[in-house]
Amino acid sequence: MLLEVKGLRKDYGKNTVLRSIDLEVEKGEVISVLGPSGSGKTTFLRCMTMLEDASGGSMRFNGMTAFEERDGKVVYAHKKELQKIHSMYGLVFQSFNLFPHRTVMQNIMDAPLRVQKRDRAQAEEEAKALLEKIGMTARANAYPDQLSGGQKQRVAIARALAMKPDMLFFDEPTSALDPELTAEVLKMIRSLAEEKMTMVIVTHEIPFARSVSSRVIFMDKGYVIEQGSPADVIDNPSNSRTREFLKKLEEE
Amino acid sequence: MLYKGDMMKMNKHLSGIVTALTMMLTAFGGTGVSAERTEFTVGFDAEFPPYGYRDDNGEYVGFDLSLAEEVANRRGWTLIKTPIDWDSKDMELETGAIDCIWNGFTIEGRENDYTWSVPYVDNSQVVVVKEDSGISSPSDLAGKVVAVQTDSSALAAFTGENATEENIALYESFASLTQIGDYNSAFLNLDSGAVDAVCLDVGVAKYEVEARDGFVILDVPVASEKYGIGFMKGNTELRDEVQETLFEMLDDGTFARIAEEWELSDNVCLSREETATEVSVSQTADKKKANIGEICLDLLPGIGSSLLIFVLTLLFSLPLGLLFALGNMSKIKPLHWIISLYISIMRGTPLMLQLLVVFFGPYFVFGIQTPAGYRFWAVIIGFVLNYSAYFAEIYRGGIQAVPKGQREAAKILGYSKFQTDLFIIFPQMIRVVLPSVTNEVITLVKDTSLAFAISYAEMFTLAKQTAASNTSVLPLFIAGGFYFIFNFVVALVMKQIEKKMALNK
Repeated sequence: MLLEVKGLRKDYGKNTVLRSIDLEVEKGEVISVLGPSGSGKTTFLRCMTMLEDASGGSMRFNGMTAFEERDGKVVYAHKKELQKIHSMYGLVFQSFNLFPHRTVMQNIMDAPLRVQKRDRAQAEEEAKALLEKIGMTARANAYPDQLSGGQKQRVAIARALAMKPDMLFFDEPTSALDPELTAEVLKMIRSLAEEKMTMVIVTHEIPFARSVSSRVIFMDKGYVIEQGSPADVIDNPSNSRTREFLKKLEEE
Repeated sequence: MLYKGDMMKMNKHLSGIVTALTMMLTAFGGTGVSAERTEFTVGFDAEFPPYGYRDDNGEYVGFDLSLAEEVANRRGWTLIKTPIDWDSKDMELETGAIDCIWNGFTIEGRENDYTWSVPYVDNSQVVVVKEDSGISSPSDLAGKVVAVQTDSSALAAFTGENATEENIALYESFASLTQIGDYNSAFLNLDSGAVDAVCLDVGVAKYEVEARDGFVILDVPVASEKYGIGFMKGNTELRDEVQETLFEMLDDGTFARIAEEWELSDNVCLSREETATEVSVSQTADKKKANIGEICLDLLPGIGSSLLIFVLTLLFSLPLGLLFALGNMSKIKPLHWIISLYISIMRGTPLMLQLLVVFFGPYFVFGIQTPAGYRFWAVIIGFVLNYSAYFAEIYRGGIQAVPKGQREAAKILGYSKFQTDLFIIFPQMIRVVLPSVTNEVITLVKDTSLAFAISYAEMFTLAKQTAASNTSVLPLFIAGGFYFIFNFVVALVMKQIEKKMALNK
């Protein structure tokens, strides 16, 4: 098992945003996380990527414990182990967060060189291959500000892939994009799914989630209220709130 | 610090520009000598006791002011006491902002520069040292640092064109001759050991030595001289009126009484027998004026000093500001408190005061004798401390302007905190802060002139001194031109840097 989350809880002061969430991700799975805004799905993603500290529960990557609850307190692993765990996953942000002072090529190559201390020639070759894959070889020396939103997100995905992670998280990767740009990004994620990349995707794109996911989980008010195959959850929801949410989206 | 340029040795040529400027200024500020004089404006250096100074009650008093008061009363004029910057006295007089300079004003060496009254005080130049200094005669001053006031008679006694050979030899034996703006700071310098001796008028010396502890006057005077009242060249009308009243006061004993009040009975020499130093107006052309070339040459060492302050300040304060910015944003609370207190003090008090504290603080607070070269380093330390605080705040704003997502992206990619700051945050911060940094750098160019507060001879200090000794405003305009050109270059360079940093070419 690649990722195992058990009883994850997150409080902001007296406000509990996540209540005892479990999730198991096998290698090669593509999991879509759906739910209305405020349901806690982004917070869930931020806790799993350790951008936020959890308030309770435990998490393991590849059998390594990232954090666990001891005597009612969440204890994180030591720095060395956390570094190893960090290198197992990547995250693609809603707002891209490319480094604006670096060219496309530098954005992709910088972390492999500085963080992973990889050989420059090799890193460059891999970066070029990634650029080719996302169809942006011509823009290698452009700065992020010179790119469209869709291009930025494709570069952000390439930047994450350059680290050779075991799995990728996506935080609403198309929410900041115009509809015509959304397609190119979804197409890329779909091709990653075909290559058996393990992915957890927070999204509002229902048709996309249905076609790309091996499993869908539906969240509301800090709980996972339904999960299963896309056919079960999206086409035949058992929970009334899931039905309501899907219906609302359909009407829009 | 050492200013050996002989400022008194002047070219005889009168620069047309100077005349034009002087006339222009006169036209703007002229009082218009009306037939009915109602006011009498006396210019004096408010730090020249007992002749003119600010007493404990904040009133301007002194022997000269008492005399002026009595003259004004008898003439039915209203006396206006105008404390002036000694370096600017000629401009004050020429523009008509003051009617005369009445302030222990030495005639010798300035005979041709003013219309003089008869001398009323016989004064000599003496040397004051610390009691335990081991200096007992002027010849012991060899190898010592000696201070005089800017454009004072003591300065003229050593470097003026009428200086005796004896005094020139004495002057050359000094380690250096430092010009200091006012006597209070001269004595602070003497007390702290920054200078070894102060050379000044005997009247002032007696007053200061009595008022302070631990100083003595050497028995042998360096020069002897007389005081008179200086009027604008050619203004014999007013001179005669004032002088006539003075003689009346001499006749009825009022003059002697006032002299006694100020304990100057031994020094006064007013007498009807004396004749005023009469100089015909046609001789105005002989006024000592240097040409532009000579003035520039005089200012040259100052330009070097100003540049040095500028370069060293930036060299240290730009990186130091970054450390302070990080300290201020630190999660370690005490560090944050200390840094933010430091920044608010540096930004909340005048730079001039900070320079004084850095220079005099070690001695007056901790009793540490500072070495001779400390004056320069005090300037640099003061400027660096001040500018680091400003840069720290600019950097902090710049760092906070970098979006949070940048740190998160770096964290996910596995950058350490240090790598994140160095490779991701700082480069973006620099682009944000560059315009504000440019502003500070331009301010620094002009702020270098504040080094005069501790008598460091940078550009502007020299310009004021040269202006005073040349009785011309030209050096100030040249100095202004220098700052303007300097800043023009700075702005140009910063623009190039900004262009280089811009990403979308």
